Amino acid sequence: MTEGREVVLDVNGRRHTVLVADDEPLVLTLRDRLGLRSVRPTCGIGICGTCTIQVDGAVASSCLLLTRQVTGRSIRTSEGMVDSAGALSPIQQAFVDRGAYQCAYCIPGMVVTVDACLAENPDATLEEVREYLAGNLCRCGTYVNILDAVRSLVGGPPTRRSNATGQPGANTPPIETRDG
Amino acid sequence: MTAAEMVTVAQRSIGVDYPTPDARERVVGTLRYTVDHSVEGMAYGRLVRSPYPHALIDSIDTRAAAAMDGVMAVIAGADLVESDLVPHPYFGLARRDQPPLAIGKVRYAGDPVVLVVADTDSRARAAAAMVGVDYTELPYTVDPEEAAAPGAPVIHEEWPENQCGDWALHQGDVDAAMAGATHIFEGEYVSPPANALPFEPFVAVASWGESGLEIWTATQWPSAVQRELAHMFELGIDEVRVRVLPLGGGFGAKGQVKIEPLVAAASRLTGVPVRVEFDRDEVFLTTCKHPARVRIKTGVDADGNFIARDIDLVYNAGAYAGLSPSGVAQGMLRSPGPYRIPNVRLRSRGYYTNTVPSGSFRGAMTNQPAFAYESHTDEIAGELGIDPLALRLQNALRDGDVYAGGQLMHDVHFVDLLEEVAVAIDWAEPSPPAAPGKARGKGLGVILKTAAPGTRTEARVELNSDGTIHVHTSAVDMGQGLQGTLAQMVAHHIGAPYEMVTVSDPDTAVTGFDSMTAGSRTTFASGVAIHSAIETLRRKLAGLAAHQLGVGYEDIRHVAGGAVSGTGPVLSFADILAGAGLDSLSGEGTYQSPRSPALDHPGEVRGEVSVHWHQGAVAVEVEVDRETGRIEIVRCHGAAWAGRVINPTRARQQSEGSIIFGIGPALYEEMLVIDGQVANPNMSDYMIPSIVDIPMELTSTSLESDDEEAEIHGVGEMTIPAVAPAIANAVAAAVGVRVRRLPLTAERVLRAIEGHDRD
Repeated sequence: MTEGREVVLDVNGRRHTVLVADDEPLVLTLRDRLGLRSVRPTCGIGICGTCTIQVDGAVASSCLLLTRQVTGRSIRTSEGMVDSAGALSPIQQAFVDRGAYQCAYCIPGMVVTVDACLAENPDATLEEVREYLAGNLCRCGTYVNILDAVRSLVGGPPTRRSNATGQPGANTPPIETRDG
Repeated sequence: MTAAEMVTVAQRSIGVDYPTPDARERVVGTLRYTVDHSVEGMAYGRLVRSPYPHALIDSIDTRAAAAMDGVMAVIAGADLVESDLVPHPYFGLARRDQPPLAIGKVRYAGDPVVLVVADTDSRARAAAAMVGVDYTELPYTVDPEEAAAPGAPVIHEEWPENQCGDWALHQGDVDAAMAGATHIFEGEYVSPPANALPFEPFVAVASWGESGLEIWTATQWPSAVQRELAHMFELGIDEVRVRVLPLGGGFGAKGQVKIEPLVAAASRLTGVPVRVEFDRDEVFLTTCKHPARVRIKTGVDADGNFIARDIDLVYNAGAYAGLSPSGVAQGMLRSPGPYRIPNVRLRSRGYYTNTVPSGSFRGAMTNQPAFAYESHTDEIAGELGIDPLALRLQNALRDGDVYAGGQLMHDVHFVDLLEEVAVAIDWAEPSPPAAPGKARGKGLGVILKTAAPGTRTEARVELNSDGTIHVHTSAVDMGQGLQGTLAQMVAHHIGAPYEMVTVSDPDTAVTGFDSMTAGSRTTFASGVAIHSAIETLRRKLAGLAAHQLGVGYEDIRHVAGGAVSGTGPVLSFADILAGAGLDSLSGEGTYQSPRSPALDHPGEVRGEVSVHWHQGAVAVEVEVDRETGRIEIVRCHGAAWAGRVINPTRARQQSEGSIIFGIGPALYEEMLVIDGQVANPNMSDYMIPSIVDIPMELTSTSLESDDEEAEIHGVGEMTIPAVAPAIANAVAAAVGVRVRRLPLTAERVLRAIEGHDRD
């Protein structure tokens, strides 16, 4: 363990002064010192995306950053995307509306990633956002609904069959449209 | 009053896409999981684990660790044995064969040996690195068939033959039927260990007070945890309070009893609250999917009818029993598949080995035989030149058919499921031409799964004077949206707005017994218990209303949100409670699934083996790269028998999530065991499906009955067992090679294409 130092952090538009060890990973500072529990370590090695945050607008794995590395940088988490009146961001609202969550351990990281992608390229296609999300894993397998949420934001042809529930024998010939 | 009558007066809340009440918290990230829970003054525990698969513990040097800053205790298995505070230092639901910390010897590489407790997590971790353990290595085995052989290393002295379940079922005369068969087909299919890998790790916080033990833990089985801890510490059941917050994933891994005995014992010995959270590698080392080898032989007559089947299943139980002794029976009961076969001989065995203990994994015990029998079905079809769909439809179980063991089938829908998925991927149409160097093919799988026998679920529905309704249940919300689903059922049956209903988190001091949130049973079992609780509540309300109105009990009719007599005014729930001077009124209900006497004789199972049948099917189209062996799933459709759908979005998420979960162990997930060690316990070397690994065309159907009273079926695991065989069958259709060992990695497929089938 190394000596502590005072670090000034800019997180979700607010300044925080925290005393951290030199080797403290940012994910633990955000979770344990600032109470931002949407930021979650899962794999610990930058693979899974559940600790994804934005650093000056770019996505980063907070498990791979030391807190002292981000002094003076602007940090954003999913909590910071809710406005001062408590309204969800359009991306968060789309996830709610499209049922794009199950256990939801990974969802805040997904939200942060989609937000960064669309900020970088407001005209991103469904396929481009999907590629952008390749580093955000979901073990429940909510990807279909996540794509639905993204589709509601960026457009794109639907893939959902009309008879998502139905009775035996109620089959109609397939009417799928292939997604571009 | 029947449910149907209630529905006529109720606002319809079943079959509606209500979001879960906590949707906002889940999406923003403010929902609290057990991993977020802390207790005033808690200490932190970190484990030292065995590096050897099988070894005697000679000595443990704790001095350096104990002397480090902040260290409060360094606990080994011997300390548990010597302490009066832990009267029974072994746990296990089938066999109490597992100590929280190894006692005398270690049985797998990763077995917990020493727990260091310190005032901070980082200090506990630093001190754990300073613990020295001397071992004497013992011969070990990681192979269940090797473990079964004479002279194999003995893993538990109490089980000198390493046996961990041995079951058999005979029906008809297999030998005579095989002798008379026109064709005989045989195959052997292998499933390696895989990890369910819930993202929230195993984590628990235990504390002791005057009323006993309280533990917050990320478990799917709070009532089982309560029972095992009461036994371990010789406490009354009411002296153990188990609390559970929503899980960050479970998938079976968080079933049974896992981290809780360790954390409770550490808190008992140190006298302070203790929290333990496992690292990701420790999640890999705590439980895994049962590795299995399935041999299957089928006799077919001249018309393509399956007339005899002989199956031998061997499951690797790993180092500790968990529920393997009975689990291998469930695997056996599901192994013939959803087919009408008059002559069946089944044998299913589990063996201890020196590997990670095997446990539940979404589609538990079913994925392995399903991979076998559905691959086998296509091999038969291919040899006979019959369309794989037609062969399945010809032999599929229908209502009135007899299943292995003698049970008459009812409410089975395999034909509908097969037709549903086949239509969805245009089964009858040839695949479009593939890109140069690639080939396309389609494949099917259809499965059945027994329901767990002898389970119980209690529920209490509490009506408050402000009109709110609260459901007390020990069922666990692990991402399936259980709390929303139960609230919808209550709202529907009681005739209240969905928004007025809330559902508890499990807290065994308040909420009733529930066997487990597992096995696709909870929507059904909790639904029955809640329905019964509401009927009790309604009867109480009717009695109070009759008294207030001065009419007979039989004159009371239930209407949405209240009760009425004749053409008189409606008494709202609030009116009834106020008139009786009550703040709240409760009804309790229980679901009990019958135990299965058929399982009383492991060597000769006979009779009814399941109260109802879980049923699902999957169809896929794949494109295989002939040069690399890489498989791309082009499209996939799954179907589950749901009976009735409570929430269409969530039912669909179960079927589609189950398919996505199944793609991993089908294509790349495998815990590699090399020299007795798990070689890839991290998410870099063990990859799970990402959003770019799934087909853009991934769809599903939840098949419903047209009967409003139809039984509700859980849909959490209906598609996963069919995923791997459907993919293997599609690969065979595309490039003409049959891979009988999972996962279907590019390397394995390429070797098969090139004719070097080393498996």
